[in-house]
Amino acid sequence: MTRRIDLRRVAQYGVVVVVAVTLNFLLPRLMPGNPLALIAGVDVGMLTPDQRAEIVARVGLDAPMWQQYLRYWGDIFTGDFGFSFRSSRPIVDMILERLPWTLLITGLSLLVSAVVGVLLGAISAWRRGTKGDLSMLSGMISIESLPSFWLGMVLVSLFAVQWGLLPSFGAVTPASDLEGWAHVWDIISHAILPVTALSIVGTPGVYMTMRYSMLETLGEDYIRTARAKGAGERRVLFGHVARNTIAPVITVLAIRLGFAFGGTVIIETVFSYPGLGRLVFEAVAGRDYPVMQAAFLVFTAAILVANLAADLLYPLIDPRSRTS
Amino acid sequence: MQRVKRFKWAILLVVLALVVVGCGDDDAEEEPVATTAAEAPATTPAPEPADEEEEPATAPAEEEEEPAPETTTTTAAPPPPPEPVTVRAAITGDEGTLNPYTYISGFPGWNILMLQYDSLMQLDAAGVPQPWLASSVSVSDDLTEWSVTLVEGVTFHDGEPLTSDDVAFSVEFYTTNPEASRFARDFRGVADVVVHDDYSVTFVLESANPGFDVVALADAPIIPRHIWESVDIPSEHDFGGTNIGSGPYILTEIAPDQSYRFAANPNYFRGAPAVDELVLIIFADDAGAQAAIRTGEVDVIFERIPPEQIDLLDAQDPLDVILGPEFATQMINYDASIRPFDDVAVRQAINLAMDRQDIVDTVYLGAATVGSPGWIHPGHSVYNPGIAVDVYDPAAANALLDGAGYADSDGDGVREYDGQPMSFEIITNASDSLRLRIAELTVEMLAAIGIETEVLPVDTAVWENAVWPGFDVNNGRNYQIAMWGWSPPVQADPLRLPWLVHSSLDRGFLNLTGYGNAEMDELSEALAVEPDPAGRKAILGRMQEIIAEDLPFVLLLYPDGAYVYDSSVYADWEFIAGQGIVSKLSLLAPSARP
Amino acid sequence: MTATGGEDRAIRRAVRRRSRLPTILGVAGLVIVGALVVTAVFAPWLAPYDPTERIARPFLFPSAEHPLGTNDVGHDLLSEIIFGSRVSLMVGLVAATVALLIGTTVGVIAGYYPKRLGSTLMRGVDVILILPFLPLLIVLAAYLGRSLLNTILVIGLLIWAEPARIIRSQVLSLRSREYVLAARSMGAPDRWTIIRHIVPRTALLATGSFVRAVSGAILLEAALSFLGLGDPIQKSWGSTLYWAQTRGAFLTPAWKWWVLPPGILIMLASLGFALIAFSLEERINPRL
Repeated sequence: MTRRIDLRRVAQYGVVVVVAVTLNFLLPRLMPGNPLALIAGVDVGMLTPDQRAEIVARVGLDAPMWQQYLRYWGDIFTGDFGFSFRSSRPIVDMILERLPWTLLITGLSLLVSAVVGVLLGAISAWRRGTKGDLSMLSGMISIESLPSFWLGMVLVSLFAVQWGLLPSFGAVTPASDLEGWAHVWDIISHAILPVTALSIVGTPGVYMTMRYSMLETLGEDYIRTARAKGAGERRVLFGHVARNTIAPVITVLAIRLGFAFGGTVIIETVFSYPGLGRLVFEAVAGRDYPVMQAAFLVFTAAILVANLAADLLYPLIDPRSRTS
Repeated sequence: MQRVKRFKWAILLVVLALVVVGCGDDDAEEEPVATTAAEAPATTPAPEPADEEEEPATAPAEEEEEPAPETTTTTAAPPPPPEPVTVRAAITGDEGTLNPYTYISGFPGWNILMLQYDSLMQLDAAGVPQPWLASSVSVSDDLTEWSVTLVEGVTFHDGEPLTSDDVAFSVEFYTTNPEASRFARDFRGVADVVVHDDYSVTFVLESANPGFDVVALADAPIIPRHIWESVDIPSEHDFGGTNIGSGPYILTEIAPDQSYRFAANPNYFRGAPAVDELVLIIFADDAGAQAAIRTGEVDVIFERIPPEQIDLLDAQDPLDVILGPEFATQMINYDASIRPFDDVAVRQAINLAMDRQDIVDTVYLGAATVGSPGWIHPGHSVYNPGIAVDVYDPAAANALLDGAGYADSDGDGVREYDGQPMSFEIITNASDSLRLRIAELTVEMLAAIGIETEVLPVDTAVWENAVWPGFDVNNGRNYQIAMWGWSPPVQADPLRLPWLVHSSLDRGFLNLTGYGNAEMDELSEALAVEPDPAGRKAILGRMQEIIAEDLPFVLLLYPDGAYVYDSSVYADWEFIAGQGIVSKLSLLAPSARP
Repeated sequence: MTATGGEDRAIRRAVRRRSRLPTILGVAGLVIVGALVVTAVFAPWLAPYDPTERIARPFLFPSAEHPLGTNDVGHDLLSEIIFGSRVSLMVGLVAATVALLIGTTVGVIAGYYPKRLGSTLMRGVDVILILPFLPLLIVLAAYLGRSLLNTILVIGLLIWAEPARIIRSQVLSLRSREYVLAARSMGAPDRWTIIRHIVPRTALLATGSFVRAVSGAILLEAALSFLGLGDPIQKSWGSTLYWAQTRGAFLTPAWKWWVLPPGILIMLASLGFALIAFSLEERINPRL
C-alpha cells in the first residue's frame, strides 16, 4: 500500500525542466527581429550608434550568449526577471497582475467543464447506445469542432453588441469606483462571456475521457458480475464504477490546470481580457525577451508540476494500477 | 476505502474552487491598491461618472461627501454647478507608465503623455506652433539663437513653480539620458542653454535650425528638476506615485493592460480643462474598441477608425465621426541601389503603373487622399501645386520600359532585365491589413506592365529588419520591393524631408531606399540654413519636383484621419491638421485653445 | 456465468445497439467529409467567379449575382469560401500526415524499446507537449516566412506528440503478446518483428489518430489565421475569417454572410473527421 515516490520519475522531470528552460532561453533569441525598437522607443532610427550600443549594454544584450544564459538561470533562482523592454516595468509585477485574471476565467471554466463533462460522460456511458447517448455524443463532438475564437466573437456579437446584456470587453468596468457586491458582480459579469466560451470548448474533452473511462470500467468482469448478480444500478454506479473511472479524468483535469496558467491567447484577445496569454502574445510580437522568458518559465513550470502531480497521483487514485 | 477515494476527489474539487474564488477575491481587492498612483494633490472634486448605468445600492452613503464642492472661489458660482464631464476613450495597446521615458507608441502614446506635461510651444489647429509655456519666442537672424520668455505663475502638479531652471534641466537631462531618443534628438544641436532669469532662457544652437520650434519647442515635455534630478536610470525609476508635470491632466490610476485614469488639473495655467475626468481603456484590438463604442461603453476612440466603419458609426445616434487630413503615408519602397531599381526608368514606370485612385476607392473606400509623387500632402502648406497628382498611365509605363530595353523576349508576360525575369517579392508586415490589401493591388497593377511580383507577408519585426536592418541605414537593405509607411510627424514638419532623401547616411538617416542625387543634397543643405519661410518653401517646392521625377520611393496615398465620438458626452474635439484629435486642445475650453 | 435467458437477450440487444452507434456517426462523418472533398475537387466548376479577381464593389450585401456578397476588396465571398475548402482540407490532411509519420515512428520505437531509448524519446514528447506553443510557431513562421507549406509544417510539428503517446501504449501491450514473444525467442531481428508484427497491428489505431489529427489541424489552421500568424493572402476559411475580423464584419450585418458560413464550414470539416475518428476508435477498442 505505501508507495515510495518514484525517484527516477522525478529525475526524468528534472531533465525535462533543464531542456525546457534552455529552449525558453533560446527561442526568443532565435527569432528574427530586433528588440531595440521596443527598448529605445518610437524613433529608434534617430539614435546614434553610440546611443544604440549604450542601450544594448544596459539591458545586457551585448554579453556573450553563454553569459546571458547563466544570468537567466540566476534569474530563475532569485525570482527577479528584470524589466520589460516594452513597458520598462518589473516583469514579476506584470505577471502577478495578470495571473489572477487568467486563473479566474481558466479556473472557473475548468470547474464548469469538469462538472458538466463528468456528469454527462457518466450518464452517457451508463446509457450507452440509447438515443440520449447518441445525441449527447454527437453534440459533444460538434462542440469540440467549434473554432473557439469564432464562438467568442459570435458571443460578443450577440450578447454584448446586439442585445447589450453583458459587457463586451475587459475584466472590470474601468474607473467605476464600484465597491463591495457591486464590484464582485462587475467582475462576474465581465467573466461570464469568456468563461462561457472556454467552458463550452473545454467540456467535450472531459466528457469524452469520462465516457471512455467509464465504458472501460463497465466492461470489466467484476462489474458485469455485479450487474448480473442483480446489484442495484445505483450501487453499482457509485460503489464500483465511480472510483475506478475517475483516475484518468483527474489526470486530464490536472494537466489542464497546468495549462490554465498559460491563459488563452485567443479568448483573451477576443474579449480584451487582461490575462497572461495576451501579455505573452504582445511580448512575442515585439521581441520582449525578458517578458517572454519569464512567462514561458511560469507556463512550463505550471505544466510540469501538473504533469508530475498527475503522474504521482495516478497510482494513488487508480486501484488497478496498484494491484499489478 | 471507497468512501475515502470519493472524498479525496471531492476535496480536490473544493480546493480548486477555493483557489479560483480566492484569486478572484484577491485581485478584486488588491488590484486597485497595488497599482494606484499617488492621490492627486490639490482639490480635485471627485467626479462621479455621469452615465453610470448600474448604480450600486450602497452608493448613496458615499454621496454625502459631495454637498461641499470646493468651488468657493471669489467669483460667484452659478447656482447649478455644471455636471462633471467624464470621457472614456479607447486605445489599443498598453502605454506603460506614461512618463517621458516610459510611454510606448508615437501615436497616441506621445499625445497622451503630453496631456500631463507641457512643451514651450503648442501646435494650433492648423498645425502651426504657437507659444504655450512660453509667452513669446524669438529667433536671431542667423537661426542659431532661440530666446524664450516663460509664462509666469505656472506650477507643476505638486505646486512647485515651473521656471527657466526646469527648462534648462529638461534639455540637459534628455541629452545626457538619450534612451528616449525622441527628446534627446530634439535637442541634439543645442550647444548651450543660457538662463537669464527665472522666466527667460536662450537656446544656443551649433548651427542654424529653422525648424527648432516644431522639432523641439513644440515637442519636448518640460520636466520638474526637483523630481528628476536624483533619477539614475529613467526608464526603470520608480517615482513612487503619479507623474508630476504641468499639464491639464494628472494620472491618478493605472490598471495595467486595462485602463488609465486622469483627473483634471484644476490649477492649469490656461484654465481648468473642459473634461473633468478622462479614462483611457485599453483594448486588445480595434474590433473590441468599435464594439464598445456601439454599446456605449466608451465615448471616443483615440485611434483612427478603419474606412469601412466611418459611415456605419456615423449613422448611429449619438455617434459622430470627425474627418480631416493626416500626414501618415502608404508607399512603395524599393532598393534603388540595386538592379533594376537603380534605373530611373523602372522607378518611373512603377510610379505610372499605380492606379492610386483605384487603391483609395477599393481599400480605403474613398477615405484617403491620393498620394502626390512629390511626397508632400496636397493639403500641406508647402505643397507644390505644380506636381501632378493623378499620373496613372500604364501605356506610358509600358512604353518607358520598352524604350529602356526591358523587353519580354520569351513571351511569358514578364519582362527581363540583365537576362533574368523582372520577378520580385513585395515584403510587407502582415499585421497591417490595409497595407496588405494595397500590396495585393500593387501586384495586379505591376503585372499590367510586365513586372511579376508576389506578396510576402511577414512579422512586423522581420519586415522592419529587412527594410531597415537594426534601424540604422548604415546596415544597408535586405529587400527588393517593400510596402512602407511613415507616421505623420515625418511629413508634418517638412524640414525633415532631407532625412528621407539625403545621400549622406548621416543626414539621410531615414533614407531607406539607398537613393542619392547631388542636387537634392545641395537643396537639403540650403534648406537647413534658409532663414526666410518663403525661401524654404521655394526650396521644398523644387525638392518635390525632383522626387516626383526621380522617385526615391512611390508615394501611394495618405489615409485620412477619422475619429468617432459620442456627441452626447463631449463634442468639442479639435482636429489638428495632419495630427488628429488626440491632444490637450481637444479637452480644454475652446477659449483656452491657441 | 449464471445469466438468465432474459438477461441474455438484454445483453445481445445492448451489443447490437453498441455496434450501431459508431456506424451511424461514422457514416455521418463520411457524408460530411465526402461533400467537402467534392466541393474542393470541383471548386473551379462550382464557384461562380475567380476568388482572386476583383469583380464588384467591396462590402456588397448578398444579391442574386453574389449570394454571399463581396469581401473588403470586392472578391466574391461564395467563390472564396468554395475555394477555401481546398486550402483548409489540404492543410488538415497534409499536416496530419506529417504528424502521423513522426508520431508513429516515435511511438513504435519508444514502445518497442521501453527502457532507455523509449523513455528518452518520451521525455522528448513531454518537452514538445509543454513547450510554449505560440512562440515556437512564430519562430518557425518567422524563419520560414508565411506560406501554406510552413503553416502545414508548423501544425504537423506541433501535433505529433499525442499520436506518439497513443501508439506507444499500443505497442507496449503488443510487445508482450505471444506471437511477438515467440518471434523474438526464435531470434527474429527486431526490425523484422516490428515491421511484420507490430506496425500492421497499430495501423488501425494510427488511422484513428490520423483522422483525429486532421480534425485538430483544420481547427489549428483557422486559429493561426485568426491570430494573423497564417498567410492572409491564401484563400482558406481561416483567412476569410481573419479578414472579416480585421474589417469589422463582426459588428455589422455582414457577420451573417461573412462570418457564419466559414465558421460553420470549419466546424463541419472538423466534425466530419472527428466523427470518423470516433467511429474507428470504437471499433478498434474491443472492450468498449
